[in-house]
Amino acid sequence: MVGPQYDFLSNPLGAVRSTFDTAVASGTDPSSLEGRDWGALPLFRHFLFDQSRISQVPLLTPTTIRFVRPNTLVRFRGMIQDMPGNEFYVGAYKDGSMWRTNKFMDVLQYPNCSSADTRIWERRLLYCVPVPGLSPWTEVSAEEFGNLSMDWMSDSREKRRRDDESSYMPVSCDEVQDSPNTKRMREGEHSSAASHSSEAATDIASSTTSLGYEIGSNSPPCIVKIYDSPESEMKLNDIFEFVGILTSDPELQEDNEDSDLSDGFSEDTLRHFPPNQVPRLHCFIHRKLGIQDFLQNNHTVEPKPDLVKGLREALLRHLTTILGNDDVTSHFMLLHLLSKVHARDNGLAVGKLSLNLTCFRKETVSVYGKQLTLVLKKLLPFTFCIPLTVEYLNTVSLAPKKNYDTNRLETGVLQLAEGSHLIVDETKLEAGTLNSVGVENCRLLKNLMELQEVEYDFKYYKMDMKTDAQLLVLSEGKSNILPADVIVPFQPSTLSYSEAVTPEVLEAWRWYLATVRQLTHSIEPEMQKVVERDLVAARQADRSLGPEDLSRLLTMGRLMSLSYGESSLSLEHWQMVKELERLRKQRLQ
Amino acid sequence: MTTKDLDFKADTALAKEFLSNFADANGEAKYLNILQDVANHKTKAVQIDLEDLINYKDLDEEFLRRVTENTRRYIGIFSNAVDELMPESTEAFTDDDHDILMTQRSDEGGEGVDGFDPLQKMPPEIKRYYELYIKASSKGRPFTIREVKASNIGQLVRISGIVTRCSDVKPLMKVAVYTCEDCGFEIYQEVTARVFMPLFECPSKRCDTNRRKGNVILQLRASKFLRFQEAKIQELADHVPKGHIPRTMTVHLRGELTRKVAPGDVVEFSGIFLPIPYTGFRAMRAGLVADTYLEAMSVTHFKRKYEEYELRGDEEEQIARLAEDGDIYNKLSRSLAPEIFGHDDIKKALLLLLVGAPHRTLKDGMKIRGDLHICLMGDPGVAKSQLLKHIINVAPRGVYTTGRGSSGVGLTAAVQKDPVTNEMVLEGGALVLADMGICAIDEFDKMDESDRTAIHEVMEQQTVSIAKAGITTSLNARTAVLAAANPAWGRYDLRRTPAENINLPHALLSRFDLLWLILDRADMDNDLEMARHVVYVHQNKECPALGFTPLEPSVLRAYISAARRLSPSVPRELEEYIATAYSSIRQEEARSNAPHSYTTVRTLLSILRISAALARLRFSETVAQSDVDEALRLMQMSKFSLYSDDRQKSGLDAISDIYSILRDEAARGNRVDVSYAHALNWISRKGYSEAQLKECLEEYAALNVWQIHPHTFDIRFIDA
Repeated sequence: MVGPQYDFLSNPLGAVRSTFDTAVASGTDPSSLEGRDWGALPLFRHFLFDQSRISQVPLLTPTTIRFVRPNTLVRFRGMIQDMPGNEFYVGAYKDGSMWRTNKFMDVLQYPNCSSADTRIWERRLLYCVPVPGLSPWTEVSAEEFGNLSMDWMSDSREKRRRDDESSYMPVSCDEVQDSPNTKRMREGEHSSAASHSSEAATDIASSTTSLGYEIGSNSPPCIVKIYDSPESEMKLNDIFEFVGILTSDPELQEDNEDSDLSDGFSEDTLRHFPPNQVPRLHCFIHRKLGIQDFLQNNHTVEPKPDLVKGLREALLRHLTTILGNDDVTSHFMLLHLLSKVHARDNGLAVGKLSLNLTCFRKETVSVYGKQLTLVLKKLLPFTFCIPLTVEYLNTVSLAPKKNYDTNRLETGVLQLAEGSHLIVDETKLEAGTLNSVGVENCRLLKNLMELQEVEYDFKYYKMDMKTDAQLLVLSEGKSNILPADVIVPFQPSTLSYSEAVTPEVLEAWRWYLATVRQLTHSIEPEMQKVVERDLVAARQADRSLGPEDLSRLLTMGRLMSLSYGESSLSLEHWQMVKELERLRKQRLQ
Repeated sequence: MTTKDLDFKADTALAKEFLSNFADANGEAKYLNILQDVANHKTKAVQIDLEDLINYKDLDEEFLRRVTENTRRYIGIFSNAVDELMPESTEAFTDDDHDILMTQRSDEGGEGVDGFDPLQKMPPEIKRYYELYIKASSKGRPFTIREVKASNIGQLVRISGIVTRCSDVKPLMKVAVYTCEDCGFEIYQEVTARVFMPLFECPSKRCDTNRRKGNVILQLRASKFLRFQEAKIQELADHVPKGHIPRTMTVHLRGELTRKVAPGDVVEFSGIFLPIPYTGFRAMRAGLVADTYLEAMSVTHFKRKYEEYELRGDEEEQIARLAEDGDIYNKLSRSLAPEIFGHDDIKKALLLLLVGAPHRTLKDGMKIRGDLHICLMGDPGVAKSQLLKHIINVAPRGVYTTGRGSSGVGLTAAVQKDPVTNEMVLEGGALVLADMGICAIDEFDKMDESDRTAIHEVMEQQTVSIAKAGITTSLNARTAVLAAANPAWGRYDLRRTPAENINLPHALLSRFDLLWLILDRADMDNDLEMARHVVYVHQNKECPALGFTPLEPSVLRAYISAARRLSPSVPRELEEYIATAYSSIRQEEARSNAPHSYTTVRTLLSILRISAALARLRFSETVAQSDVDEALRLMQMSKFSLYSDDRQKSGLDAISDIYSILRDEAARGNRVDVSYAHALNWISRKGYSEAQLKECLEEYAALNVWQIHPHTFDIRFIDA
């Protein structure tokens, strides 16, 4: 078993080295170890998951980054924003007669070795940023999530953990302080978060357009170095949790003066990421995160129909009060919040349901719109709000763009993680002239709306990136810039007021929204016949219905039955969809 | 190390042998000729093609492997071999600085007093007047940047990509030459890296024995410099896996290879993949991370024309296999936009547009175009634009534009004033850019009338004439025009005449070889089909299976480019047949009181063009009768939606119409026997299907109008 000579948390490199030595000692040729593991990863996997120690690994946040020492094990959660490419490094070298490895390290320990005795290996670089538009409630949960999973363990484990803690010096010191500290921190975060969120709505326009995200306001960006895992596993804009070794060697903070010679043709891809601002993480283990992973208590509760039904009714009621007792709109809102792209058919995204609420005026937006934004922020993990103005359209860079001078992908507002929610407020738009940027931005928004794709600008060519975002448009009349799937005239009868909601209820709703939309769904053959007949009848009656409209009706049917936690479309739900559609048509007239 | 040295000596001998013995296809000593040119100062580059090494009769496989895996070393080895083989110059040329210096140096070399001093020995590099490149074999697929791994370091690789940045061309010091103030000797220092540490003290033996620290001065004129340029290449869009970001790579270009590329070029480099040695302080600490670059050995620009399309190894085979397969016409056409349901005949027409017919130049200099022009007209939402975009993707050279988005100037050419030099500059528009390719114009009907007239010339004469601001010229625009338009009132209005609906001037319409009407009819079957499709997609999260595997666009492209090399001719015996077909169309038109189209000589040319394109698809040098029949059928089908309407009006159903066609044809030929093949020919030209013919045959046989041969289905009319 694991020897006591190294500690996984404070000296993970010890584990790497000792397993390497064992592997070499057992006669493995060091050059054959390229691109594969020599037994270090199973040790870590065992330590983190089988022994459930993952919660002891500190999560990299603006607060913890001050405590964490370099060369210790840390966790980082973020979205892959850029892929700077490959890095070649001296993977193994001969020190005297002994082979040593540099895997999971930044700096060569013994640089004086001849080229014959070195092996060059490669690793992949990922530039990760905190998930854009992350709601404040997820951050708290991320820390509590760890502790919670600890609580599930038996008491004896708990005790042992306390005993063990004395040996985990660097980590335990902030673990011990954790309980009072995090509370304070959390409060601080809450207050800052509150101000943050209200600002965010207006600030998002300017702040996210700059290179990278504000360091300090949120958790820092991070360069993650990935070893030996297939390339197809990690895609741009995916959200991952990485566990690995943190290195931020101050020595590497070199002045790149000598590269002035190359007049901007920097050989060092990383020179634009100063290590004092962007920590490096050598990743051992990574796992993809979904929306459920951001919930506070990650229940593995079966979504039982009556439980789901209860939650659905409560949430719908809440939405209705927020929306001034407009029942039809709140129904559509619920379906909209559950939508998700689940298939693509030659360019068309199937399963999206973008919503356009019309009949908003400036005054009503300030009342209902604001309430709605707040509620959505509380319910969904990643939310954005774009106030559409002519000036905004003319200046903002919505699509990510490759900057060849810095060799970086500059992020844009529309570089979104899967499952993001976007509110576009069109009521502020006034007549004006769009310049070429504005026209391009309009096209991008339209494409996102229709195809759920964003064109990334690589100057010499454009690349379509698949996106999955829920789009809500608030406008006065039907929005022509943003052709949504469903247009619902908003007709409130009372003022919007928000009832006080307990955190537990909110948490349950979040769970509902995150879980229900992941359910599988099918249409039984008999039901299929009914649906087909209805669709044909609808098209015979109204020639202007295109395939998109038929597809939308089916999507609504799917979402309707999902909202009840059911996995196949029933006649009752199909009737509800048709009735809903009828009511909507009535309003449009 | 000594054994290695020996190896290299042996390899130098091998290289020498190869250079002097290699004979190309014409039996000429290719490399000796190049060396002679170098000696005569006619050329500077010596490019060793590994292809030649592979084809070399006494090929040593091991040697080839060593060359590809340790290329940098072998450049030195080949250079040594070239040095030894360098012939005397056979032509007189004026001495330049370099030669004068060289003569001086060799004179001085004789009177070396201090005996052997390695630092005073001239490095061979400074004597060389040439640059040596080793070019990778062009067989096989080049790497994408993503595929170049750590194991490729030091090897010769071929990489394709798009150039994104280029630095200025700068001199790079290759050999630094100093003179010593004390002893007066020339000191040479070879520079291998980008950065070097200059000498400050004279290292010569004389200064050393005299215990003097001789001050050395760098002699820029005597030193050897090389042109040097850096470039960045990036993966091509279609090489990037979904959800990833294109990778980049640095490329170093030296000497003759500089100034060959510009940002935006799609190129293929062959070169050596090398790590950058860090120097000085950085090497101490950051030695861990090795950056890499590609030392370019050759540059090839990608060709974007059919005529220059090079077939890759397996493609030739694939094409041969496809050509043998009888059903190639259907197979290829179905593979165009496979995800668009139906529209089989339109796809066939588009395939023919891609293939085109050969251009003809008559003796008197008149040109007859070979490009087919097609106009798709139809109701909104019948996937016209998607078809257009797909065709542009398949064509190696295509421009997509919309009628709204481009003015007449934007389509043809514009004269502009250069802001810097104040000169008038001619800039080609979309049609000129699509020369030798396809220009797809969407929203053709929404174009301004004045802009549309600019297209008239392009479509028939295939040139763009400019007479503006003192510039009178004519640019080539040999492009096939593919236009898409909506009917006059947005949707096709069945109550109005076709001419009213189409609403394009006849001068323009007659220039289109095929005008296709796609109507969206309120058809129960179609609606059900659509509903089924939508439900299927929702249910199964994928498109319904196509029932066949479409060919890859690359295969399509290869096949079409192979087909385009042929120029089929019309045999004498077919001339009569075509003439009759043409005159009968004219006759029919004259008889009808509301003709749908004007048949002109242009129509005859269209028939010939389509037939020729069909012959090309069959890889045949002569047009067959079946090609002409298919051409006539396509022309008929294109207006089918209109005719079927007419027929309904005239009260004739399909079956009786077929009967009357057959009867008329038989009467014209004064025959009682009609073979099944002929009958099928006639009716398919009118836009009927084989099934309808069979139905008709059965129905009228039951009425005892004719007898049907039980096996061959030949028809015999029973005279009353």
